[in-house]
Amino acid sequence: MEKITIIIDGKQVEAVKDQPVLMAARENGIDIPALCHHPELESSGGSCRVCLVEAVQGGRSRIVTSCNYPVRAGLEVNTSTDQVMKIRKGVLELLLCRVPDSEVVRGLASKYGIDEPRFFKDEGENNRYKCIACSLCTQVCEDVVGVSAISMQNRGVEKAPGTPFHKDSQACIGCGACAYACPTGAISMKDSKGVRTIWGRKFKMAACSVCGKPYIPQAQVDWIVKTTGKDRAFFDKCPDHR
Amino acid sequence: MKAITSFEQLEGYRERVKAAQKKDLPSVLICFGTGCQANGAVAVAEAFREEIERKGLKVDVNVGFKTTGCHGYCENGPLVVLRPKDVLYLKVKPKDVPEIVEKSLVGSEIIEKLVYKDVNTGESVAQYHEIPFYKYQKRIALRNIGNVDPRSIDDYLLCDGYKGLARALTMRPEDIVSEVEKSGLRGRGGGGFPTGTKWRSCRAVDSDVRYVMCNGDEGDPGAFMDRSIMEGDPHSVIEGMIIGGYAVGAKQGYIYVRDEYPLAVKNLQAALADARAMGFLGENILGSDFSFDIRISRGGGAFVCGESSALMRSLEGKVGEPRAKYIRSVEKGLYDKPSVLNNVETWNNIPVIIRNGADWYASFGTRGSKGTKVFSLVGKVNNTGLVEVPMGISIRELVEKIGGGVLNGKKFKAVQTGGPSGGCIPDSEADLPVDFDSLTQAGSMMGSGGIIVMDENTCMVDVAKYFIGFLVEESCGKCTPCRDGLPRMHRILSDITEGRGREEDIETLTELCDVLTCAALCGLGSSAANPVLSTVRYFRDEYEAHIRDGKCPAGVCKSLITYSIDAAACTGCTLCAKKCPQQCITGERKGAHVIDASACIKCGVCKDVCNFDAVRVE
Repeated sequence: MEKITIIIDGKQVEAVKDQPVLMAARENGIDIPALCHHPELESSGGSCRVCLVEAVQGGRSRIVTSCNYPVRAGLEVNTSTDQVMKIRKGVLELLLCRVPDSEVVRGLASKYGIDEPRFFKDEGENNRYKCIACSLCTQVCEDVVGVSAISMQNRGVEKAPGTPFHKDSQACIGCGACAYACPTGAISMKDSKGVRTIWGRKFKMAACSVCGKPYIPQAQVDWIVKTTGKDRAFFDKCPDHR
Repeated sequence: MKAITSFEQLEGYRERVKAAQKKDLPSVLICFGTGCQANGAVAVAEAFREEIERKGLKVDVNVGFKTTGCHGYCENGPLVVLRPKDVLYLKVKPKDVPEIVEKSLVGSEIIEKLVYKDVNTGESVAQYHEIPFYKYQKRIALRNIGNVDPRSIDDYLLCDGYKGLARALTMRPEDIVSEVEKSGLRGRGGGGFPTGTKWRSCRAVDSDVRYVMCNGDEGDPGAFMDRSIMEGDPHSVIEGMIIGGYAVGAKQGYIYVRDEYPLAVKNLQAALADARAMGFLGENILGSDFSFDIRISRGGGAFVCGESSALMRSLEGKVGEPRAKYIRSVEKGLYDKPSVLNNVETWNNIPVIIRNGADWYASFGTRGSKGTKVFSLVGKVNNTGLVEVPMGISIRELVEKIGGGVLNGKKFKAVQTGGPSGGCIPDSEADLPVDFDSLTQAGSMMGSGGIIVMDENTCMVDVAKYFIGFLVEESCGKCTPCRDGLPRMHRILSDITEGRGREEDIETLTELCDVLTCAALCGLGSSAANPVLSTVRYFRDEYEAHIRDGKCPAGVCKSLITYSIDAAACTGCTLCAKKCPQQCITGERKGAHVIDASACIKCGVCKDVCNFDAVRVE
């Protein structure tokens, strides 16, 4: 890890070469709003366009997304110039048009002075009510969980994640990683009476032998045991009682 | 066929092909491009074969016969060329064939009814190269198309094919890169990035594996130069790629062709097989240490896959979506390896640049844009089709000299260049030279070279709405500004054209354009504002007329126009009343007619059929 010094908002900060500017900024206490970036997912980001900043490099200034713009020597970043704020506000207004029901987007837009967008709002269907089509869910499912139960479907405004042909996915293990990764709470996951409902399927939950609380879908235990060789007995107890 | 393993063998083979050819044989060349085939060229070719046989003639003994790629003058197809007389016949039908064989192939008569007639002068022109559409062209990229049978590698060799490759293999790879740099060749796919610089950057990255790719995913409405090249001269693209592979150090190349181009795929496949059999592809090409091969990958029909990073993802078998290009493809491209992606026309220029030298190539064009460019000239212009001209020719020359002026003597209003995310350039700027930088400065772009001519009856707000509508359909949906911004722009434009425009709309549109330009992920998104920005820049008064006065000055937007009949001009011929689908035109024979505006659907049939110009649109 090669450490270099770059300038963010006029301050000299230390950063790791090639790390995303967003991470460098956050590590130095500079906040940049972002929705579609997840620090654990290398391929994430670049979709929502909320984290725009001005990057000046080699005498050239341009608006870039900080979540995937790499830290390089000589870089100067400005996170809140007039232009950056104006364009970011424009992006948020468009996001609000897409997902007027999302509390997260509504809250963020409100910080930029938008309570109601000037344009028509989308009417959601196929999981689109709060979805900003950032694909964090499908990336987690593929890259971290490794089951690829869901994928991004359609294009343009219709783009949204889903199971193949909107039918029950036999690949899904009910782990809910997609719901945890979703920045806008768009994926519905309900646990009730030892059963988890997600993507239209019901998963039986295994209970903790100590507290008796159902805490993990049986299908997830099977998947972990199968792919990692972990001892099945490990899952007898929930994380609180291990 | 035994593979050729040395330069001497190649030249020996070429000489043998040349010697076997009967030079001055009266020959017939039938255009077998997609356009002419659609117009019936297959039946015409069949008729020629039969007629030649019926007359007791023999192909390659008494007469020559071959099918070629596209001549570019597709609206007049099927095209038939007679050599060595250099005569071009237009719109040939099978029933014309016996007469052509009798009079023009065997005899030396010219059949007047089949030759080109200049709409402006009324003059007939029989000689191919004297027809204005061809006369002012300079064909480098299209050098072989229409002359060679794309399925014959021998034909390509007769046109000095693979001489560029032979020369390249005697050069050091870095010298080839320098030669391409010196030629000033810039990417023909639209971006205009200097090709040599791209190659040099790719070479500079440390890696065992590199790739070269050809972008044949031409998707701009109305543009078909890449298709024409792939169909009509596939070996030129393949030769260019082999040279490129050698120059940058790649062993594998890919041609990404859209699946809607079946003939291009077929001709490329055949050409690749022939090139492999002759030893131009595969291990130790022409006896050198260099090994290289090319595979074809067929696209699935998404416009966005013409964007470089989306194309590479699609090639990898993933969903074709762009990625951020902060790390460039020459560093991390296909399969994260250093990669060079060039457009069909760019690759096709490489063999001649290496064969004739950079200085020769750089002698054409302007300071910043060297060489020639193929344009597809379409729209309201007399001669439409593919034209190749030196960079720097003015828009006016293109439209008037080659295009033969605006259709039906109407007034020239604007040209739209650069595909859906290009822009419109008005009549007042028509003396602008057509090159990369001038077009960008004017708010449009070169793009892949589509030029749509518009006349006085074109509404520029409607044009902007059309292109934004296209982009709404084709947005991949990955980033917010393009996915969610374009439909909002489209809604505002629809409102304006349907009489619901508001005073602040132009301002709001410009704001949205700004968000798209600055914040979209890929080039398609960031240039998607051009249709709106350029029309607002040059035709703001038209937007204002729609919004403030509720009028469409060009008479296009149905909600804002009314049809009426000028009683003084109407002769009462009753034709309009007969043709009106709504039957809402009434009047006595020989008396002035009246349109019932409440029932009129503004289809324009009455105006089209009126012989006395009595129908008014306001």
